[in-house]
Amino acid sequence: MPKAFFVDTSRCTACRGCQLACKDWHNLPANDTKQTGSHQNPPELNPYNLKIVRFNDYMDEKGVVHWNFFPEQCRHCVQPPCKDTADMTMEGAIVQDEATGAVIFTEMTQKLSAEDCESIREACPYNVPRRDEKTGMLTKCDMCIDRVGAGMVPMCVKTCPTGAMSFGEREEILEKAKKRLEVVKKDFPKAYLADPNDVNVIYLLVDTKDRYFPFASVQ
Amino acid sequence: MKSTRRSFLKGIGAGVLALSLGHMGFSLKEAHAYARSLKIEGAKEVHSVCPFCAVCCQIIAHVKDGQLISTEGDPDFPINEGSLCAKGASLYSMYTGKHGRILKPQYRAPGSDHWEEKDWDWTLTEIAKRIKKTRDESMIVKDDKGRTVNRLETIFWMGTSHASNEECACIQEALKGLGIASLDHQARV
Amino acid sequence: MTNHWIDIGNADCVLIMGSNCAEHHPVSFKWVLRAKEKKGATLIHVDPKFSRTSARCDYHVPIRSGTDIAFLGGMVNYILQNKLYQEEYVKNYTNASFVVGKKFDFKDGVFSGYDPKTRKYDKSFWAFEKDDKGMIVSDPTLKNPRCVINLLKKHYSRYKVDLVSQVTGVSKENILKVYKQFTATGKPEKAGTILYALGWTQHTTGVQNIRTSAIVQLLLGNIGVAGGGINALRGEPNVQGSTDHTILWDSLPGYFPTPRANWQTLDEYIKANTPAPTRPQSTNWKANNPKYIVSLFKGWFGDAATKENGFGYDWLAKLEPGQNYSYYWAIEQCKQKKMKGGFVFGVNPCQSFPHTHKVRAALDNLEWMVGCEVHNSETTDNWHRPGVDPATIKTEVFLLPSAHRIEKEGTISNSGRWLQWFDKAIEPQGEARDFGHIMVPLMNKVRELYKAEGGVHKEPILGLRWPEDFKAEEWTKRINGYYEADVTAGDKTFRKGQLVDKFMDLKADGTTSSLNWLYCNSYTEEGGNKAKRRDLSQTPMQEKLGIYPNWSWCWPVNRRVLYNRASVDVKGKPWNPDLPVIMWDETAKKWVGDVVDGGGAPLADKEKGRLPYIMCADGVGHLYGPGREDGPFPEQYEPVETPLKTNPFSKQLSSPVFRYFGEDMKQMAAPGDSKYPIVLTTYSMTEHWCGGGETRNTPGLLEAEPQLYVEMSPELAKEKGIKNGDGVILESVRGKVEAIAMVTYRIRPFKIMGKTVHLVGMPFAYGWLTPKCGDSTNRLTTMVLDPNTFIQEDKACMVNLHKADKLTEIG
Repeated sequence: MPKAFFVDTSRCTACRGCQLACKDWHNLPANDTKQTGSHQNPPELNPYNLKIVRFNDYMDEKGVVHWNFFPEQCRHCVQPPCKDTADMTMEGAIVQDEATGAVIFTEMTQKLSAEDCESIREACPYNVPRRDEKTGMLTKCDMCIDRVGAGMVPMCVKTCPTGAMSFGEREEILEKAKKRLEVVKKDFPKAYLADPNDVNVIYLLVDTKDRYFPFASVQ
Repeated sequence: MKSTRRSFLKGIGAGVLALSLGHMGFSLKEAHAYARSLKIEGAKEVHSVCPFCAVCCQIIAHVKDGQLISTEGDPDFPINEGSLCAKGASLYSMYTGKHGRILKPQYRAPGSDHWEEKDWDWTLTEIAKRIKKTRDESMIVKDDKGRTVNRLETIFWMGTSHASNEECACIQEALKGLGIASLDHQARV
Repeated sequence: MTNHWIDIGNADCVLIMGSNCAEHHPVSFKWVLRAKEKKGATLIHVDPKFSRTSARCDYHVPIRSGTDIAFLGGMVNYILQNKLYQEEYVKNYTNASFVVGKKFDFKDGVFSGYDPKTRKYDKSFWAFEKDDKGMIVSDPTLKNPRCVINLLKKHYSRYKVDLVSQVTGVSKENILKVYKQFTATGKPEKAGTILYALGWTQHTTGVQNIRTSAIVQLLLGNIGVAGGGINALRGEPNVQGSTDHTILWDSLPGYFPTPRANWQTLDEYIKANTPAPTRPQSTNWKANNPKYIVSLFKGWFGDAATKENGFGYDWLAKLEPGQNYSYYWAIEQCKQKKMKGGFVFGVNPCQSFPHTHKVRAALDNLEWMVGCEVHNSETTDNWHRPGVDPATIKTEVFLLPSAHRIEKEGTISNSGRWLQWFDKAIEPQGEARDFGHIMVPLMNKVRELYKAEGGVHKEPILGLRWPEDFKAEEWTKRINGYYEADVTAGDKTFRKGQLVDKFMDLKADGTTSSLNWLYCNSYTEEGGNKAKRRDLSQTPMQEKLGIYPNWSWCWPVNRRVLYNRASVDVKGKPWNPDLPVIMWDETAKKWVGDVVDGGGAPLADKEKGRLPYIMCADGVGHLYGPGREDGPFPEQYEPVETPLKTNPFSKQLSSPVFRYFGEDMKQMAAPGDSKYPIVLTTYSMTEHWCGGGETRNTPGLLEAEPQLYVEMSPELAKEKGIKNGDGVILESVRGKVEAIAMVTYRIRPFKIMGKTVHLVGMPFAYGWLTPKCGDSTNRLTTMVLDPNTFIQEDKACMVNLHKADKLTEIG
């Protein structure tokens, strides 16, 4: 039974519990960052941040300020193009777990060339994969496959304080997402689910995708 | 290497994906050695509380062989229900990090430009001497109106809400014994 | 908090003001969102800047920092003018009908009884009229013009929406929107909660900010009910507990005043601090104070506490009446070279205190200092701060390695007053110790010295009940309290050494001890250590309310909602039958639900009935509060540094009684000073903790928020030629600070009295000890203080800024 995440951005407060929990669970070190006029730090996904929270604010024509948050991670596509691309060079570098639907970058990705990795990144509709230049590993969210395998939810989901993130059987999660969308639409008429049929990390967005970032959704 | 982001977009648009992948699905057990063992397996669960804001989220610390392995929110605690914020989610690296942690008592002599490592006994003995000397020299037993005041105004105490109730009670009792007038903590900052 | 975290989910309207809870109490926001889900609550954020809290509220209302009383005073006026108050509640449970004495007056922004020389009020001018038995006179018809409700109407009639808008910078439309939505909770079956934090306290009118919210909540009948209350979101990890145990100069554990020189004996002290009831049907719980006070002293001094020495009272320090001994007094004493030594445990004054340059220089004058920290701090290392030659600093510094939370065991008290036990998971790193394992041996060394050598006033040091070693749980028990002698009460006999069951059993004769009466009942013979309880069982009524009476324990006596007697009408029927906190069972003649506040029957029973506010001698909630230092009604004053030259509300510009020390007023910008035209407000952040001592040493958190920034509007940035990400230098009369510009619509310019006023905001988590992240924001802020609490005005001061040619503190 494939698993899925539901990320309800209407509930996200950008506390970054998920960003930090992911880091600690995976024992990842920190990057040397700078303040550049944004809370979004590190500015992009990288080998040490498999999850980052994106911030985007603007003032609308009525003078109302909006601030959208997007906890970004691999979408664990139902049919992952990254895997397809990798398979052409090296089967087993990227695998999809039958039991959970998790798309996993294995240690074999170290053997892929930098160019191959770049192609895999290009293939990703959400611009997620990042190559660790030190180890050669291609990196991204692994769905906390170790936790999920042991019957626990991924660390980011576990950590989320506001209920913005949930995890479970794909069918149930999809149902939950649809129900929640109906509720949210009352406050946010533009709200929609991002590519729900193609991904296992289903985002509920309350604003157009350009008000998040270009890779927030494909549609 | 034909598949690109654009071709994926196109594929979605056409309702068909050019490259069929799903049916090839590997089981991780058989395939490649990515799947990590669960690091908290077999660890002892210890109940603690996040050391930051006064929501006081309860946490579980996973300990193996006396070493901290991981921390996460306590799902049974009815306030945080297992969740944590950025600070609470960083407790594992905060507690295990060697970065800047003070490990031994230190002493800086007047005018010196460096710290010297000292042992606890020497350090506490020297502090006790300073307390006594300062106290004996400047304790105000009677004020200028002749009233008994037993007040020590030349030593202050600052902090801390990081202390547990037991530590606070212990500190409070010591300060009442010494007669220190100026005690204060983060109720103000 | 009057209520607790989960109870926020019971509100019909959540007004977040003076707090940015999504960022600073992130998990609390779970319960804010729960209110929306469960009750369809409106979520309102009133705050100078648009934050992550604003982003998830229904709407945000930008307000100029330091004008909360104007905003809420306008709401009081709106409630009174439109008769939106909960009449039965106001009549019966507040002092609305009390008659104020003839000496009370208010003119040109100043209350009667003011002495301009001492800058203090004589509060006797504000007293109620009393009858010959010492009871407060009341007029239930409310016709007497000196009834509180009539004076209240008169006072706030000046707070018209137009004026409020001009002063706060909030549009009239937004003002009325908030007033309308929040006051809709004045209906008996509706509840509104107010969440505040340092955004209210850190002003020279901090206490009065909160008083104004109390007036609003009392008028609307929102105190005591589920989903209501005034909820101080306590910031620090155990600030509720450390306040209860009063690591404070002005109180003793359990909230009794520190002894003063004019109370020379225990009898005098007890007499001055044990009020008599001032209204019929008042419970006046504080009549029990002697039992708690004597039990506290007995706890400290054990067998050495005898009737003859006032149970140790005779030994205690007696402070000079009227004198303050807070943090800032201590700093001023350092500056004047009167202070010799100091302990700085788990706090970073050289970073977190206002007017940091003063603090840093003042501490240079100490002969010795003992720091106790997890990491070196800007205070422990003050002697080698930038620009200072260590050779010139003669302070001896002892630095002790402190254990982290997970390396020790004990209890903390959360903001909802829950007592939570934590176990020790691992041994402290290196040779680190918890505070107990430092204080106990240290005091034993001091005791040995006094035993061996003698010394000045050695009795209290040698008289302490002091252990050989620190064991946390022994102190948990001592806090609860013991029988100190065999005691027979009714048909029961308690043996010396048994734990006391509840504070009702404490005695004033030295036969019981308790280090804090509020915590008595937390560790009992029958219940054991209740802080360790992990039982989620509930009755259906508790489930509906979100009360978990069997998880941990809550002071007092496991009461989960304070003032819960006010949640029912005079017959004991809940105002909101859907969410009853308590109710009177007429058949069984007893209360059902949460642990009821005090005993007795509902108020309608003229004999056994009791008023709801049991801790007040008059038994009611105080619309009129004659006990504060700065007036019985909150009044809008400007911050001490202000963009205005005059106060549009009165002739009095700033609080006539705010406090300061020494020569600090010489380093203040003049009102409306054109050199410093921009309002600065400061705040914490999600990723760093206060001054940042621990979190700057946590790589993942520093990665997420690496350097000091200043948030400003695009309009101000344009005016100053600053682009997002540019280096900026900010300047106040007291200092300069470097920061990175964060140019954002989240900060809006204000229109104040027809003129544009800009506001900028900065966190204060960055210090020089972490390389290239910036240094203390507090070098800009002011050390002017609320006259009640001596809390500093961190939230509003005046600065100017320009684009930096180069940065030296940030890289």
